Amino acid sequence: MIAVGLYVHVPFCRTRCGYCDFNAYAGLDDLAPRYVRALAAEASLVAPAWGDARFTTVFVGGGTPTTLPPTSLERLLAELRAILPIDDDAEVTIEANPETVDEGSLGRLRAAGYRRLSLGAQSFDRVVLARLERGHDPDAVGRAVRAARRAGFDNVNLDLIYGVDGEGLASWRETLRATIALGPEHVSAYALTIEPATPLGRQVADGLRPAPDPDVQADMYEQACELLGAAGYRHYEVSNWARPGFECRHNLGYWRRHPYLGLGAGAHSARGPARWWNLRPPRAYLASVEAGSPPVGGAEELTSEQIELEERFLRLRTREGVAPDGLDPAVVDGLVDAGLLERAPAGLIPTERGLLLVNELVLALVPQRPRAPATAG
Amino acid sequence: MAIPTSRIRNFCIVAHIDHGKSTLADRLLELTHTVEARAMRAQYLDRMELERERGITIKAQAVRLLHDGYELNLIDTPGHVDFTYEVSRSLAACEGAILLVDAAQGLEAQTLANYHLARDAGLVIIPVLNKIDLPAAEPARRREELAALVGEPPERVLAVSAKTGEGVEELVRAVIDRIPAPEGHADAPLRALIFDSAFDPYRGVITYLRVREGTLPSYARIRMLATGVASDAEEVGVMAPEATPVEALGPGEVGYLVTGLKDVHLAKVGDTITLDGSTVEPLPGYREPKPMVWCGLFPAEGGDYPALREALDRLRLSDAALVYEPEVSQALGFGFRVGFLGLLHMEIVRERLEREFGLELIATAPNVEFHVERAGRAIVVRNPAEFPPGGDHGRVEEPVVFATIITPSTFLGAVLDLCQERRGELVDMTYLTPERVEVHYVLPLAEIVFDFFDQLKSRTRGYASLDYEPWGYQEADLVRVDVLLHGEPVDAFSSVVHRERAYRYGRQMTERLKELIPRQLFDVAVQAAIGSRIIARETIKAKRKDVLAKCYGGDITRKRKLLETQKRGKERLRRVGKVDVPQEAFIEALRVDRKGRPA
Ligand SMILES: Nc1nc2c(ncn2[C@@H]2O[C@H](COP(=O)(O)OP(=O)(O)O)[C@@H](O)[C@H]2O)c(=O)[nH]1
Ligand code: SF4
Repeated sequence: MIAVGLYVHVPFCRTRCGYCDFNAYAGLDDLAPRYVRALAAEASLVAPAWGDARFTTVFVGGGTPTTLPPTSLERLLAELRAILPIDDDAEVTIEANPETVDEGSLGRLRAAGYRRLSLGAQSFDRVVLARLERGHDPDAVGRAVRAARRAGFDNVNLDLIYGVDGEGLASWRETLRATIALGPEHVSAYALTIEPATPLGRQVADGLRPAPDPDVQADMYEQACELLGAAGYRHYEVSNWARPGFECRHNLGYWRRHPYLGLGAGAHSARGPARWWNLRPPRAYLASVEAGSPPVGGAEELTSEQIELEERFLRLRTREGVAPDGLDPAVVDGLVDAGLLERAPAGLIPTERGLLLVNELVLALVPQRPRAPATAG
Repeated sequence: MAIPTSRIRNFCIVAHIDHGKSTLADRLLELTHTVEARAMRAQYLDRMELERERGITIKAQAVRLLHDGYELNLIDTPGHVDFTYEVSRSLAACEGAILLVDAAQGLEAQTLANYHLARDAGLVIIPVLNKIDLPAAEPARRREELAALVGEPPERVLAVSAKTGEGVEELVRAVIDRIPAPEGHADAPLRALIFDSAFDPYRGVITYLRVREGTLPSYARIRMLATGVASDAEEVGVMAPEATPVEALGPGEVGYLVTGLKDVHLAKVGDTITLDGSTVEPLPGYREPKPMVWCGLFPAEGGDYPALREALDRLRLSDAALVYEPEVSQALGFGFRVGFLGLLHMEIVRERLEREFGLELIATAPNVEFHVERAGRAIVVRNPAEFPPGGDHGRVEEPVVFATIITPSTFLGAVLDLCQERRGELVDMTYLTPERVEVHYVLPLAEIVFDFFDQLKSRTRGYASLDYEPWGYQEADLVRVDVLLHGEPVDAFSSVVHRERAYRYGRQMTERLKELIPRQLFDVAVQAAIGSRIIARETIKAKRKDVLAKCYGGDITRKRKLLETQKRGKERLRRVGKVDVPQEAFIEALRVDRKGRPA
């Protein structure tokens, strides 16, 4: 039996946020009933290939899964459990936006077996929320968290975004304070990334809005490390903090390169050296599943070198440590001296500064071809 | 030989680029029925690259036109200041020159310089205005300008349209009437002047020559006087305009000679050919090609060093002016210090290396050759990194040139300012007409190498023209400016500049490098220094963030591809001390104005 993570993608949102390049769509709600049926159908289609699997985590993400009515989400989980061998005590996460939930709907989700709630809070600054084109106001986050508590969720994550144009260090500090005050078990804080194929990306390319300043984002990151750390959250991945024991097992699976199965439009799956992904447009995905064929849109087979590279960069995102074997000791010494790596019993662990420079760490620690100048022949 | 020496005319066309030399040559070919009108491709001479059955490639360096029982040899001259010596040898093969001037543009410095060369060589000059069909042409004014220059009455200036053919017949008549026939006895010992030579992979070195006296028969055993090399005249011929073998070339005749030699250095431009065994005086004017400008050439991929060496060895076979020696740079690895006749020559060689040999190169900024006194000894410095640092030297001399600039008088002030800024010394100034001035300056060559031409063009809205010739060496207050990255000198960025310019150079380089070098994991100081004295400083702040915020199941493939790209980029970094410098930063930082060409 192998332990596998199950990801389920729900591509619907109420509105489309300008910075987001997820496979998410506003105005496709009509497709929702068909889509939920298709998810179960896809599970049945692929189940035989995963006969040796045990699903230890489930993550229903999006998009905004809670744009689906609670009934659909109840049925979805029940059907998946019926089709795939999902552990009874599996970590089952659902993503939600604050304005899409209330105590009633959250109570039904909790009862249906969703155990972990990830809320897209993003910021507690009205201006920042408006810049992000988010549909909620800051108070909605507190209301959603309190509703979740009453509904019985004892594992809540808040997603935050920092480095938005117009957000100062002070505003970010307030957002962090407000987050800590709500007492979630888990916090994800992401530096805003400009994706070219988004409305925001085009505005930045056209010079209509400034690109985030990496130094300001670095300051904000340091603030997050400081405040969240002081509040008892452990920084366990570049953008993730948790109270001990509340690390997201599903996501840890990605960084440990465990296998995962993705269901839904555009979802990725990986097993051993193989990775493949579903058709991205929901209609194409539906058409394929409804015709009874696996909705695969693309695939790749990794070379051992690529696997090694992935292992290295995924591992180095976390503070689980990498074995020093096979690494150039001089390079390692240099990175330790530069304060980017530290030696620990578990191996080499990126420092908080090092986590923000993971690309550099990876490139420094991956074997290079000999450098110019080469010797004359 | 059907045509007696008295009916031979050897001439060339002196013209500024675009004033119509090629078009006029086309008309001459047509008029003399050398090329049938039907077979006439536009600008035949320029484009002709004849591939004969035997695979021989012969340039149309000289073409024979037959007209009215006369043999007219039109000899091509290179049109660039880098090749003044080559021009002088082509002129030496002629008795006359057509001075062709665009009636709308008027005289340009280049034309003027070549005109002086022609005149000094004793050639008869036929002044000709071209493009008189153009509405913008100012024949009357230009006619006076031209007449004044050559010191003849205005009515002796011919007016043609190379485009329509108007006046070309009269021009041919003038060539026959005004240019004297060559002199020289057929039975004197052979002396022939090489005015160009080329390397053909199948047939070896082909020389283009003008017989001064004596006779050069096919299959003769010949010898070059300067190099002392003997060879067989495998084929002797003329361009009519296709290469046409002949039995012999007599006095005054112009043609080609296939030698079978394998290296163009054995048959140098300006050398004298004679028959093996005869003792003759060499023809005057021969000079070894002398590089004026040097730069370091390094393969972008260190592993390409052998390929670069092979490419240079190959180029050298056909480029007698190319010289190079191995060089090791701490920053750029193994490469060569290469000498060129000038900036255009440098550009041509670089382009050929990149295009014909597929090499990717990093070139250091060009520099001139300095004469430096140190510890009582005179040393020649061709590489700024070898210049004594920190003023630890005695007298320093740098090459200067005699520059001729022609400018509309409205821009005279701007031109004088520029020359003054570039440490020029005014020699004299002449008004060609009330609107146009000819200015002479002695200028350090190093200043010309550095974007002078572009500055001249931009400050005169493109109207001024420039020509220059070597003018010896002159003492100068020069210092070496080094550039340090994180305390480590980068030899490739060292430059020898005038003391007053050192500060500016240092600031420019440090600012440029600050932009070009990506942030590292630590603060990097970029400094410029004279010896141990720092004259400019910038800091590249340490990089703090380089990570993708999110990396979940669907992101991993994309993220890996990104890293693979970054990894390949990293393989192209060069390390200076602790600092990683991308290839591109070297190329960009060392890029001088690539159009520093006065043509
Ligand atoms: N109108 C006109 N144009 C001419 C004449 N002679 C040359 N040209 C044009 O001037 C340009 C430069 O001529 P070209 O022969 O290539 O100049 P080169 O650089 O001196 O060889 C070309 O576009 C020609 O067509 C002329 O007599 N009249
Ligand atoms: S709600 Fe989330 S998934 Fe939907 S558009 Fe906004 S950021 Fe993207």
